[in-house]
Amino acid sequence: MNFYEHTLIAKQDLSTPELDSIEKKYKDIITKTDGKVIKIEKWGLLVFAKKIRAYNKGFYIHYKFEAKNNTLEEIKNSSIIDSSLLRHLTVKYKKLDIETEYFKESNEKKK
Amino acid sequence: MKRKNNKFNKRPQNPLNKLSLFQKSDSRFSKKCPLSGKDAPDVDYKNIKLLKRYISDTDKIMPSRITSVSQSKQRKLTSEIKKAKILGLI
Repeated sequence: MNFYEHTLIAKQDLSTPELDSIEKKYKDIITKTDGKVIKIEKWGLLVFAKKIRAYNKGFYIHYKFEAKNNTLEEIKNSSIIDSSLLRHLTVKYKKLDIETEYFKESNEKKK
Repeated sequence: MKRKNNKFNKRPQNPLNKLSLFQKSDSRFSKKCPLSGKDAPDVDYKNIKLLKRYISDTDKIMPSRITSVSQSKQRKLTSEIKKAKILGLI
């Protein structure tokens, strides 16, 4: 078992129930394949530095979890097919840093 | 571990002591690495404020001879900057 971080970028024009279903879908994939979700962060709507597939903004969802190799393949395969996602990235860690949240303050300032 | 760099710690000489005008002075500009040490900041792809200091205006990674980042941290910086670029954060 190893620690991983996974971030998704969903399209800008999705409604909030659709976003919740996306969040739940990938949470279920991790738990089904003997993984363990440690934390889920919602970074909210952020502006891209460059255009990605003709979109200027996107919703970011960030997972921290513990899993084996077979879950990573499932996440990768399902997120390539998924038409509501723009990009995804998984990073392996030896130790997860749960406390610091880099994107929390910037969201509160905008409101 | 501390290095013995006697070369860099010499005091600046009086310019009149030189034999010729074109002789190089012994004192050289040296700076410590800002990313290594005890209370150094975390190099991570989510820490955009830190990563933005080490890229140029045209989104190129700055060379370590300008920023004086150590060799091992520079390798880590490049990989984290590239991760942030995939996610569209930088």
